[in-house]
Amino acid sequence: MPVSATNWADEVDGEDQPQTFTDANGITTTIEYRTNEDGKKVKVTRRTQKKLIHDVVNKAVAARKKWPKFGKEKGNRPGPDPATTNVGDNIKLKLSSTGDIVQDVDEKHEAMKAQLQNKKILCRICKGDHFTTKCPYKDSLGMEDAAASPAAAAEEAAPEEQQTGSKYIAPHMRAGASGPKGGAGDRDSMREKRDEQPTLRVTNLSEDVTEADVSELFKRFGHISRVFLARDRETNQCKGFAFVSFTMREDAQRALEAIDGRGYDNLILRVEWARSSA
Amino acid sequence: MQLRPILLQGHERSLTQIKYNREGDLLFSVSKDHVVNAWYSHNGERLGTYEGHIGAVWTVDVNSSTTLLVSGSADNTAKLWDVSNGKCLKSWEFNTAVRCVQFSEDDKMVLLVTEPRMGFPGTLQIFNVENGVTETVSSDPIYNFNPEGPKITVAAWGALNRYIVAGRENGSVALIEPETGKCISTNKVHELTLTDLQMSSDRTYFITASKDKSAKILETESLEVLKTYTTDTPLNSAAIMPKVQEFVVVGGGQEAMDVTTTSSRQGKFECRFWHKVLEEEVGRVRGHFGPINTIAIHPDGRSFASGGEDGYVRVHHFDDDFFSFKFQI
Repeated sequence: MPVSATNWADEVDGEDQPQTFTDANGITTTIEYRTNEDGKKVKVTRRTQKKLIHDVVNKAVAARKKWPKFGKEKGNRPGPDPATTNVGDNIKLKLSSTGDIVQDVDEKHEAMKAQLQNKKILCRICKGDHFTTKCPYKDSLGMEDAAASPAAAAEEAAPEEQQTGSKYIAPHMRAGASGPKGGAGDRDSMREKRDEQPTLRVTNLSEDVTEADVSELFKRFGHISRVFLARDRETNQCKGFAFVSFTMREDAQRALEAIDGRGYDNLILRVEWARSSA
Repeated sequence: MQLRPILLQGHERSLTQIKYNREGDLLFSVSKDHVVNAWYSHNGERLGTYEGHIGAVWTVDVNSSTTLLVSGSADNTAKLWDVSNGKCLKSWEFNTAVRCVQFSEDDKMVLLVTEPRMGFPGTLQIFNVENGVTETVSSDPIYNFNPEGPKITVAAWGALNRYIVAGRENGSVALIEPETGKCISTNKVHELTLTDLQMSSDRTYFITASKDKSAKILETESLEVLKTYTTDTPLNSAAIMPKVQEFVVVGGGQEAMDVTTTSSRQGKFECRFWHKVLEEEVGRVRGHFGPINTIAIHPDGRSFASGGEDGYVRVHHFDDDFFSFKFQI
């Protein structure tokens, strides 16, 4: 049977043709569909408005505008070439009669300098004696006010818990919900039996995470006795959760408070006490 | 007010000079990368390039009818170009690099300044370029002087070609007679070397920029200092706004060699607008991430361009806020 053009599936494809329409204000809207690198279809909407500006110029200037290009530009068509001509970011020019622009800038600079004169360098992540950007824990936790100080982290964590009321939370993420049951249960219970150490369950990990990454993330809270990262049997990629066992319960508690709800690899981690499924 | 600069990326090395033609529709830029570029100033489109120099190009000038372009280079030549098609019409050879070129007010002569180097004295030479007739341009100068005293870094014609104003390395400005090469008067106005000297539109006064962090307006006849603009950074260029607002624009920044050791905030790579008469700073335009080497203002005062050590030319068109600004005393 020949494929008929009136197939309903083809009608959807008909949207791929670029659409152009002009509204009453002279704004032209162009809608295009194109496929991006990932093979996904993308809709591109562009709104343009043409404005014809008449400019009266000297005859010599008008004649020069028609000169053919030469040298390196030889043969290029008229109009700015993006390779050599670009529009920069907007720049503010504040004209002032009082000359305060000058002092304003300099005073701010000086004030900052004076303020920092007696300050010791303090890392925001680990409160160490180095710049935050030089922090050894920077890569493992790219957070501004990380939880090296447990008190601060606890304060922050508390309101987060309460906020959840308005947002949708997947059932398994809800407070008081029990962990995954059923199929995974057998394996979980096996693991529980193996060690009675304080263990954290870390979920919502991204696919590329490795055991090393996880231990890097947690080792600054204390000694880690074991890291288990669930991997897919075939692809050998992370399945999105891991178990981290600490030797000290307090360390585990601090890690839980610090890491839970933090962004890692563009995902927000969830850390909770690993529970026996029994 | 907001400025949206047009960035011209036609050079691979730091800019040395930029210049508008008389109508201001074309902008010429030269840099250390051997090329001369011509741009349409209103949209930043490149008209073409003038190729032939084999050394850093220090200086450029265009005649008032925009037919001839002259450029001076560190390859010990100055070249005369046809503006419209990029052809080299004439190449003058010298013993040392050419630091400064300028057409006379009547377009008939070109002033060239060569550096003293390798035992050769610095010279001031004037060539005859019969306006428009290019085949007959002589290879020999009509005047060739060896001015006494410290090295001349910048020079310009005075009104009606009666004087040549020369700025020296030691910060002094000299008035030289074009026919005899005699130094009529000198005035040491700056502490350090002069980096730029731009005439007002009627050439009765001019502005100087110096490494001593100040720019000054001097009267041409008397070399008397009329105005002083003192900044906090060595200046590389200064220009007078010919119309619209009574402003001068100065720019500079830290020495290129010291730039890597400081942040761009401290580098002070900004074009500063000063009120010409009241000697008050009124505004700053940032954007370059290297020292500003050269500034030129459109002859109608509606836009200005700056070229920096970073290899960019930034063309800024002013908006209505700029034109309606009134300085409150």
